[in-house]
Amino acid sequence: MASVVEWALVIVGQVLVAIGVFCDIVAAILMIRFPNFYVRLHALTIGSVGGAFIPMIGVAFIAAGSPFLGPYRWFMVGAAIVVAIIEFILAGAGTHAIARATHRSRAVEVYPKVVDHLEEDKLREGSE
Amino acid sequence: MDLEIWVENFIVIAMFFYVAAFLLYTVRIVRGPTVPDMVLAIDALSYDLAAFLVVLSVLFRSPIMIPSALVLVLWAYALDIYVAKYLESKELGE
Repeated sequence: MASVVEWALVIVGQVLVAIGVFCDIVAAILMIRFPNFYVRLHALTIGSVGGAFIPMIGVAFIAAGSPFLGPYRWFMVGAAIVVAIIEFILAGAGTHAIARATHRSRAVEVYPKVVDHLEEDKLREGSE
Repeated sequence: MDLEIWVENFIVIAMFFYVAAFLLYTVRIVRGPTVPDMVLAIDALSYDLAAFLVVLSVLFRSPIMIPSALVLVLWAYALDIYVAKYLESKELGE
């Protein structure tokens, strides 16, 4: 019979995985519904932090509280945390890189827009 | 209730939601009007596939699935950097 600590770890992990599943569905729907590239960047943030980072931490909790996984479950805990942290760093860096490249190369028109300081700065540099 | 059955049932239910999200991302990859849109959807799909692999490793009791998720995340980052470099300078470097 599993102890109270193991049940508590598993429940905490399952709550985190449930949050991740919810964010995943929301990000997928928004990726369809949002109108253009720059707005879809927000959907990617939901999908990469809420939908991937949080469930990986949740799996670390589930593995820590599941004795039926055998002696290698502590390896699963450590590997899940390492993968989660690396994913957290790389998702932000990669998204920033592609957004910057898209704006500088004008691959996607910025429309509708209210103000675009990056473009104004580039025009000012060109005129001087 | 037994802990093992409880965890397995939870992950089997979560699997359906993950697969539904993957199908919606695939719609955006196919329909995406521009190249950055497709790359964005492929990124989101890759990160969620990595999370899905980590979740499935508990169901299949196989710890070796977690490092493969790490490789998938690194490939998604490499795709980002290559496409960004191509868009900015129209070449892929040496």
